[in-house]
Amino acid sequence: MLVPQSMSSTVTINDMQVFSYGEEFSLLDSMEEHQIPVTYNCRGGYCGSCKVQLTSGKVNWVQDSLVSLEADEILVCCCVPDGSISLTI
Amino acid sequence: MAYSTFNKVKNDALKEPMFFGQNVNVARYDQQRHAIFEKLIEKQLSFFWRPEEVDLSSDRKDFMAMAEHERHIFLSNLKYQTLLDSVQGRSPNVAFLPVVSLPELETWLETWSFSETVHSRSYTHIIRNVVDDPSIIFDDIVENQEIVKRAESVTRYYDLFIHMCSQYSLLGEGTHQVNGEEVVVSLSALKRQLYLTIASVNVLEAVRFYVSFACSFAFAERAIMEGNAKVIKLIARDEALHLAGTQHMLNLMANGQDDPDMVAIAESCKDEVIEIFREAAEQEREWAKYLFKDGSMIGLNAEILSDYVDYITNVRLRGLGFDEIFDIRSNPLPWMNAWLVSDNVQVAPQEAEISSYLVGAIDSNMDDADFDDFDL
Repeated sequence: MLVPQSMSSTVTINDMQVFSYGEEFSLLDSMEEHQIPVTYNCRGGYCGSCKVQLTSGKVNWVQDSLVSLEADEILVCCCVPDGSISLTI
Repeated sequence: MAYSTFNKVKNDALKEPMFFGQNVNVARYDQQRHAIFEKLIEKQLSFFWRPEEVDLSSDRKDFMAMAEHERHIFLSNLKYQTLLDSVQGRSPNVAFLPVVSLPELETWLETWSFSETVHSRSYTHIIRNVVDDPSIIFDDIVENQEIVKRAESVTRYYDLFIHMCSQYSLLGEGTHQVNGEEVVVSLSALKRQLYLTIASVNVLEAVRFYVSFACSFAFAERAIMEGNAKVIKLIARDEALHLAGTQHMLNLMANGQDDPDMVAIAESCKDEVIEIFREAAEQEREWAKYLFKDGSMIGLNAEILSDYVDYITNVRLRGLGFDEIFDIRSNPLPWMNAWLVSDNVQVAPQEAEISSYLVGAIDSNMDDADFDDFDL
């Protein structure tokens, strides 16, 4: 389901880089906007290339993921932050 | 265990394993044991395309202007792709349908195979366009020793599994005498072969195909054979979905979310699966040498393609929860990404295939309170 995002979500990458999530369609778009290098292929939730570990916080899914994911894994092309989050990539 | 096209036993498909349970009877999709296969079907249907939609008229001109060694690379790659999809257009159906036990997985197998037949038809579309006599190309697939070698390695696991299933169907479990020879049929051996076969299919779709895609896209990176690359882009989109399907099957089995017997079987197959990947990578590197035997092309040679083989093998092994087996960490062909992006990026939700947006779009649960705001 599409859920309105909090405007103040911050995203922390590998405990080092921090940026604010804007109005981008997905976390992947937001990461690209902030020049965070991230692997991707399909941008449609089915190739699994943009799989990363969500170390803290919650996300909302804007697209269905069609790949096998562990409980702490997300596809950045398929979700947006719900509050502040931390990722390991 | 003879196959029944409509199993008369009333069974609960939610309690069946993916394979080797009861044969499917009612094709119902209102309930699913593994909903992921229904989602894959939806996605695959939304991807439907026809080869004739892609205009290839400029490709013939490009092909004519190519150097001889480049034509060899292009045609050999196309022959290999034709071989792979000839196998995939029928094999999931022939091998897995007789032993599948879930309606959603049965339909995924058929949808998956069907999409491969679209790929096969698209190769005919391409070949017809670049050469005057397509038979020269098609005949070579069964005559050229390099291609025949590829055929043997991609079909070995399928063929043994199909053979073992037919013995199981005809004779049942136990020790039998067939034409004076002792034949031992065991369900656990079959399940083991099933796991290895699906792993080898994953290798076919997730490694072998991607190596061939790299060659197709390398031409288009030089702005030649662009129609061909458009077709391959559509094929690559489908293949990404198919490999997600086989990864799910393998992971569901290994994680104990399906047939409890499969957990130990998957564990015991680990080394063999890694060997299947390693062997395929080796064969793909050999193939790269054959492709570039008469010369390289701008942007791609046997060495870079071999590095890509190692890279993509590592990526796929990680997808199955295995450790990487090659040293390479970064993608030696970064431009591949641009060709592997699907076209439905950043569209409005109602236009995209987002099932969560579509399912439940109409709220049919009503009670009296819903009419409180109504004035007549």
